[in-house]
Amino acid sequence: MKEDKLRIGVFVCECGLNIAGSLDCEEVKKYAETLEDVVVSVVNKYTCADPGQNEIKKYIKEHNLNRVVVASCTPLMHEPTFRTCVAEAGLNPYLFEMANIREHCSWVHLHDRKAATEKAKDIVKVAVAKARHLKPQIEAEVPVTNKVLVIGGGVAGIQAALDLADTGYQVYLVEKQPSIGGIMAQLDKTYPTMDCSI
Amino acid sequence: MMDVGRHPRIKLFVYSEVEDVSGYVGNFKVKVRKKARYVDENECNACAECAKICPVVVPDEFQMGFSSRKAIYIQLPQAVPSAYVLDMNACLGNNPIACGKCVEVCDKKCIDYDMQDQFIDLEVGAIIVASGMDVYDPTELDEFGYTRFDNVITSMEFERLICAGGPTTGHFIRLSDRETPKTIGFVQCVGSRSERRGNRYCSNICCMNTIKDTVLLKDHYPDIEVKVFYMDLRAFGKGFEDLLRRSRSEGVKYIRGIPGEIYEDSKTKNLILDVENTTTGEVEKHELDMLVLSVGVIPRQDGDLIQKLLTLSRTVDGFFMESHPKLKPVDAPTRGVFFAGCSESPKDVKDSVTQASASASRAGILLSSDRIKVEAITSVIDKDKCTSCGICYQACPFKAIVVDRKAKIPAEVIEAACAGCGTCGAECPFGAVTMKHFTDEQIFPQIDAILEENPQDKIVVFACNWCSYQGGDNAGMSRLQYPATGRIIRTMCSGRVDEQFILYAFSKGAPIVLVSGCHFADCHYIDANRWTQKRVEKLWDKLERKGIRPERLQLEWISAAEGQKFAKVMREIEEMRQKVTPEEIEHTKKVLSDWKPKGAKRRPKKAEVKIEA
Amino acid sequence: MAEEANFKCLRCGQEFKLPYDPKAGPQERTCPKCRSNSVRRIKEQKK
Repeated sequence: MKEDKLRIGVFVCECGLNIAGSLDCEEVKKYAETLEDVVVSVVNKYTCADPGQNEIKKYIKEHNLNRVVVASCTPLMHEPTFRTCVAEAGLNPYLFEMANIREHCSWVHLHDRKAATEKAKDIVKVAVAKARHLKPQIEAEVPVTNKVLVIGGGVAGIQAALDLADTGYQVYLVEKQPSIGGIMAQLDKTYPTMDCSI
Repeated sequence: MMDVGRHPRIKLFVYSEVEDVSGYVGNFKVKVRKKARYVDENECNACAECAKICPVVVPDEFQMGFSSRKAIYIQLPQAVPSAYVLDMNACLGNNPIACGKCVEVCDKKCIDYDMQDQFIDLEVGAIIVASGMDVYDPTELDEFGYTRFDNVITSMEFERLICAGGPTTGHFIRLSDRETPKTIGFVQCVGSRSERRGNRYCSNICCMNTIKDTVLLKDHYPDIEVKVFYMDLRAFGKGFEDLLRRSRSEGVKYIRGIPGEIYEDSKTKNLILDVENTTTGEVEKHELDMLVLSVGVIPRQDGDLIQKLLTLSRTVDGFFMESHPKLKPVDAPTRGVFFAGCSESPKDVKDSVTQASASASRAGILLSSDRIKVEAITSVIDKDKCTSCGICYQACPFKAIVVDRKAKIPAEVIEAACAGCGTCGAECPFGAVTMKHFTDEQIFPQIDAILEENPQDKIVVFACNWCSYQGGDNAGMSRLQYPATGRIIRTMCSGRVDEQFILYAFSKGAPIVLVSGCHFADCHYIDANRWTQKRVEKLWDKLERKGIRPERLQLEWISAAEGQKFAKVMREIEEMRQKVTPEEIEHTKKVLSDWKPKGAKRRPKKAEVKIEA
Repeated sequence: MAEEANFKCLRCGQEFKLPYDPKAGPQERTCPKCRSNSVRRIKEQKK
């Protein structure tokens, strides 16, 4: 697929008042529209909720977007959500970038709306800058040998080996000593129930 | 134990060690050395005739040396496999003078002096590390008199002495006169929780083990007087407190205080303890027939090979480091490797079994797939730019790069083994490595975006995905307020933060650059952040040589839980930023004006950027 | 006892001594005063 022109959509999330409470989302949205290659910018109440996600999908189709930036929370939280969302709209999931204007901005600058808004604009700008250079990625697949090696034949190794063998996998259990059993075999009784250890 | 021997899907290699591991998740190749046992373990029926006739007597390690075994022996009666083993170091063999008595008496003819070590190649998709622990040797704690006084033993030795299968068939005796002691003491935290000698960590099991021992003693010998010397009693698990109550109700005395010095009465061989009872504040003297040192758990002393072969890391305590202390507690940082038992941390039987089942389940998820997706965020090497110098290979914590320096064959990335830290990309002097999704072409424009307007008011922060970025998230979640001048660029690992990113930021007028990542023990990519440290140290020198204050490059290790630290660092660095003068910034820009990105790779100017799919 | 070397904190300016083994790899170091990790070893002046 040859792309001739970048078409970036920026979705600014209010997160209820979590973001909108301490910075001006509308201003961030307007600023985003001025950035190179951004064709559309939208403010959502909750971008991660179904209406927000539907809006992303709608705009991808309507505006023929080929990059998506969501300015909301930390990518550790919703990057998988939005990657799936853009993929459902036919975009490679790696053509999505997140701008963290909540954990790294609205929540830590609660008392300086101006500075927080300025910082949020920069965060969006950085995300758009990266988005302009995003490339589709494909997760390669490799075959799996469904056998397992357990190193150590103490109580832990024995339990793991039995569980896996009972599940149906071939298990190789390697033990250094001439017999399995490990430290536990040397104990007399074990707490808290005082039962025998062998 | 017996179930393992019988299970049709478990192939047991005892007296064996892992020699080599290569490959990657789903596709490991393992070489196992099966040491010569000199006894055919399938044929041997453990009739014991060989051991009866064997003339060589050596201390029995399994019984902690309290009894002896022969050169041909079985570790314990319930051994699995139920077969003898010949200790060649002790055996007289048939050279130069033939002994060969065991061979003569073995009806099954399963003893073979000429047996050799065997090598077995295995292919597996997952590996469970259950390599266990060692026990602390208290000899260095001279004040306790272990090895100097006959009647001071360790808790491991206690187990053998009280065990019906032990050297005394369960008759508990002291070593000096083989009498059952009337008074016995336990000293807790031997080798644990100490700043000076032994280890700093709590060994987790010793309190409960001692409590169990006191109950055992009281069961066997109701009149025995038992005293436990402790600093804190940690009886936190299910049923633990009940056992402690039972021990107390049976008359065991718990005294808060660790003996400072122990003497032996030379006649009676009794032990005299000086101990400060920290509850009463008084110094007490106790005379005891016997003393048990409740020794701690230490990491396997022979664990280095496993660590190297599987590219694992260790915590400061020396136990293997898990992928995430809370959310991935049984996964190793190397994908496809899991932990069970004490190799990961000291734990009791229940926890070991629980963790083993968790580990088996985690491995099962992997093994149940025919194919797995591997990380898309990997590095790619541009063969035209690669000079086969091998630096990327050295930097790679996962051995995911192959390169032949002699034959000048360019480096290549094994995608399935690459975890995507990007350290190779940062270290490559020729710009030949592209880190997918975190390319130079993506990071330079991010720096530009930050510094295009009012660069003097901004702090460029590089944060790693796993720790310092999440430390920032944590600060947010805790609503910790800090100045709004920081601008974060996220990389997967601080190891990705190339020197050229930092110099570029300074050349564009950044007053301060902060490089942040995980604490050394937490690095998600084993030890990739060591390279960050090295690089920053070099850069400090380089900046100084160029007349740029090294203070303007800051380094910080912030864990995902350290929101407090993140906020504190941002406040401190903002103070520093305010002290960077416009003249200083101008000077830096001038000094770095001739700066160029490394290698032949030219950073594309904005206008030149073309998008290819 | 391990060798010691002089270190300087690039955050607060504090100078202090820490164990240092040139053969050991990079170490995580912390300023005893301000707890920063921007700790730089002060190399001996070469003349």
